[in-house]
Amino acid sequence: MMSHFGQGLVLLALLLCAIGSPIGFAAGRMGSERGLAWTRRIALGFAATMLLANVLMEVALLRHDFSVSYVAQVGSLATPPVITAVSLWSSLEGSILFWGLVLGLYTAGVAVLQRRGHEDYLAYTLATMLAVGLFFSFLIAGPANPFAPTPPPVPVDGPGPNPLLQNHVLMIIHPPMLYLGYVGMTVPFAMAVAALLRGQLGPTWLQPLRNWLLVPTGFLTAGIMLGGWWSYEVLGWGGYWAWDPVENASFLPWLTGIAALHSAVVLERKGTLKAWTVVLVLITFLLTILGTFLTRSGVVNSVHSFTQSPIGPAFLAFLALALLFVVVLLSLRVDKLVGDPARETLVAREGAFFVNNLLLVAVMFTVLIGTLHPVFAESIRGVKVSVGEPYFNRMAVPLFLSLLLLIGVGPALPWGTSDRRQVRRALLAPLPAAAAALAVALALGARSGGVLLTCAFAGYALWVTADQGSRAARRRAKKGETVARAARTAILRAPRRLGAYVVHFGVIVTFVAVAVSSTFQTEREGTLAPGQALEIEGYALRLTGVAGVQQPHRFQQRADVALFRGGRQVGTLAPALNIYPTQMDPLATPAVRTGLTHDLYLTLMGVGADGSIGLRAIVTPGVMWIWAGVLVMVAGTALCLVPPRRAMALVEAPRTQTARAAAARVSLGSGGPVGAAGGVGAAASPAAGAPARGAPRPRS
Amino acid sequence: MAIHRTPLVVGAIVGIPLIVFLALGFRHDPNVIESPLLGKPAPSFVLRDFDGGAVDFASLRGQPVVLNFWASWCQPCVAEHPLLVEAARRYAGEVHFIGVVPTEDTADAVERFTRHLGKWGPAYHDADGKVSIAYGVFKLPETYFVASDGTIVHKVAGPLDRRTLEQSLEALL
Repeated sequence: MMSHFGQGLVLLALLLCAIGSPIGFAAGRMGSERGLAWTRRIALGFAATMLLANVLMEVALLRHDFSVSYVAQVGSLATPPVITAVSLWSSLEGSILFWGLVLGLYTAGVAVLQRRGHEDYLAYTLATMLAVGLFFSFLIAGPANPFAPTPPPVPVDGPGPNPLLQNHVLMIIHPPMLYLGYVGMTVPFAMAVAALLRGQLGPTWLQPLRNWLLVPTGFLTAGIMLGGWWSYEVLGWGGYWAWDPVENASFLPWLTGIAALHSAVVLERKGTLKAWTVVLVLITFLLTILGTFLTRSGVVNSVHSFTQSPIGPAFLAFLALALLFVVVLLSLRVDKLVGDPARETLVAREGAFFVNNLLLVAVMFTVLIGTLHPVFAESIRGVKVSVGEPYFNRMAVPLFLSLLLLIGVGPALPWGTSDRRQVRRALLAPLPAAAAALAVALALGARSGGVLLTCAFAGYALWVTADQGSRAARRRAKKGETVARAARTAILRAPRRLGAYVVHFGVIVTFVAVAVSSTFQTEREGTLAPGQALEIEGYALRLTGVAGVQQPHRFQQRADVALFRGGRQVGTLAPALNIYPTQMDPLATPAVRTGLTHDLYLTLMGVGADGSIGLRAIVTPGVMWIWAGVLVMVAGTALCLVPPRRAMALVEAPRTQTARAAAARVSLGSGGPVGAAGGVGAAASPAAGAPARGAPRPRS
Repeated sequence: MAIHRTPLVVGAIVGIPLIVFLALGFRHDPNVIESPLLGKPAPSFVLRDFDGGAVDFASLRGQPVVLNFWASWCQPCVAEHPLLVEAARRYAGEVHFIGVVPTEDTADAVERFTRHLGKWGPAYHDADGKVSIAYGVFKLPETYFVASDGTIVHKVAGPLDRRTLEQSLEALL
C-alpha cells in the first residue's frame, strides 16, 4: 500500500515536471503572464508532491514497514528512532528522494519569493528548475526507486543503516546541509539560463542571483565543515580533511560559487565580467552534477561512495546533456553578454577580484584533475592509482596562500584608480600588522615556512578586514554618534558589506588554524595494561578500566582513560569500539578533549583478552578554530542576506540620475526597463560596499 | 543568429574527453580488489548447519564447489537467490553448492528465507566468523568458485548475474 502510494506520488511529480517545464519555456518565450502563472502553480505542485513523498517514506521508516524496499534495506527494529528518521539520506535511493524534496523546496521558494522583481526571467528560471526536477523524478521513479515493493518474503527485521552513519550526531545534519548547498546551485544555474535565453542581465536578475548564490554557498560551507568535523569525530584517524574524491566533489562547486559571487560584484560595480559571471554560475551547477555522479556512480573509491548502481549511467547522461545544453546556449547567446570594454587598470580592486577569480578557478582545476586522475588512469591504462595529500598540498597550498594574501590586498585597493601613490599608500599601511603576526608566530616557536607565510598574510588581511569593516562606523562615530549607535547604523545600512568582511574574518581564522593544526600534530601509540600510562605533550594518559556495554543496536567496548597534567588529574576520556551486527570489523569511536589551544584525541585500537588496550593519542593545536572560523563564515553569509535598511524605498524607483546610471551599467542590449528594482546595492563582497544609490559614494 | 565558436570548441575539448573517460570508468569497479586467494588452495573449514548437519570442506575435493556467503537480511542475496536455485538444480551431481551464513544469522531467519525463496544447498553457520575472515569476505554476498583440485579460480563480490554465474560454472567444469 505504502509502496503504491509512494510510487504514485513520484510519478505525479514526474508528470508535473514534464508538463511544467515546456509551459515555462513557452511562457518565457512569449512573455505570457498566464503561462507564468501556470508554471508557478505547477512548481508549487511539484514541491508539494515531493514533500508528501518524503513524509510518506519517513512514516514507512518509523513504522518499520519492511514491505517498502528502502526500509528493508536500511531499517532495523533495534535502531534508535532518531537514526531511523535520518536513514532517509543514509543510502542511495533515500538520498535521491531527499534530493527531490530539497529541489522541490527551492523551486517553491523561487516561485514564491521571486514572484515580484524577477518576472522577466521567472518563467525561464522555473522551467529550467522543473527540467532538472524531471531528471530527478525520473531517477526516483525508475533506477533509484525507494518505494519499490520488497520481493517476498518480507523480512521481519532489517540490517539498519550503515554503522558509520549511526556513530555520531553530526550525521543528522551534515548531509542535509550538503544537499541544501548542492541542490541550491540549481537556482543560480536556472537564473543564468534565463538570462541567456532572454539575452539580458538586468538588475532584476543580478540581485536575486546574488542572493540565490549566497544561500547554497552558505549551506555548502556549513556542509563541508560539518563533514570535516564528522570525519574528525568519527573516523578515528585524527584528521578532518583527506582530499577524498567525494570531499573534493563538494569543494569544487564551492570554489566556483565563491568565484561567481565575487565576479558578480564587479559586474554590479563596473558592468564588466558579464560572460565570466554567467559561465562560473553554469560551471558551478555542472560541478554539482559531476560531484553527485562521482558519489553515486561507484566509479571512484571513497569512504562516501555508494556501490556501482544503475543511476551512474543516468547521471552521466544527464551531465552530458546539461554540458551540451550549456555549450550550445553559450555559443548562441554569448554575444548578448559582451560587457563594456575594460576601462580599469589591474592595480585596482576590480583587478584583485579578477585575480581572485582566476586563483579560485585554478584551485578548482587542480582539485578536479587530482580527483579524476584515478578514474582516467584506470579507464585508459587499466591501473589502479590513487592521488593523495602530497599532490593536493603541493599544488593547492600555494594557490590558497595567494588567495589569503588577496583577502588583504583586494579590499585595500581602491576601485578603478591608477593613482600609484594612492595604491602604494593603501598597500603599505597593513604591513606592520603582517610583521607583527610574523613576530608572534616566531615567538611561539613556529619555524615552518608555510606557517610563517600564512601568519604574515593573515596579519595583513586581518588589518585590512578590520579597517575596512569598521570604516563606516568609525566615520559616524567621528561625527559624534556613540560607538554602539554608529556600529548599529553601519550594520543596518550595509549588512552585506559587513557580512562579507565577517566572512573574510572567518576565512582568515580558518586558514591559520588549518596551517597550524596540520603542521604541529603530535602522535603516540602504545599498549596499556590497567594502571599503566602513555605520555604525550605533557599529558599522562592512565588506563583505569575497560567495560563492555550491550546496547540495542550494537555492542560497545569502552576504555576509561584518566588524564593527568602536571601530576594533577584534569579529566577522563572514554574512547570506544562499537561492534555492529552487520559490520565485520569494529568501528572505533574516538574520544576528544577540545580546548582553546589544542585537542587531545584518543582512539581505542583494540582490547586484549587480559584487559590491556591498544591506544593511539594525538595532540593537535588549533583544531577548534577551524570550526569556529567556518561558523563565522556561515554567520557572515547569513548577514549578507539581510536586506539593507535604506534599500526598500529605493526599490520603488531610483529617482536620481546617479541611480539610473548605476542601474543602466548592468543592463544589457536593448532589454526592458532597468530601473524597476534599482539594482539595490549589496553584494557578497566587501568590495560591494553598499551605500544607497544616489548617495555620495565614499572613497574606499 | 550568430554562432560563437569559442564555447563550442572549449566545450568539445573539455567535455567530450570528460564524458568518455567517465563512461569508461564503468568498466572497472574501484572497490573490487582482486582476492589474493585466486589461484591458491581454498581455506579449509568444518562448519555445522542449523539442523545439526556438518561439512568438512576438504572432503569435497574431487568435485567443483560454488561457495556462497550470504545472509537472511541481505537484499542483494535475495536478488541472486533464484539464479543459484536454478544453477544448483541444473548442475546437481556435478558441482557442490555450499552456503555460509554469518555469525549473527539465526536458524529461524534462515529457515524463513529458504522456505520462501527455495533452497539451493545447505547453509552452514559461521558461528565464530573465522571462515569469513579466512576468505577475506568484505561484504555480502560473495561467491567463490573452487575447482575440483581445491583451487579458487574465481571470486564474485556482490550479487551474481546470470551471465557471470554461467561463465564461472562453465570454467569450473
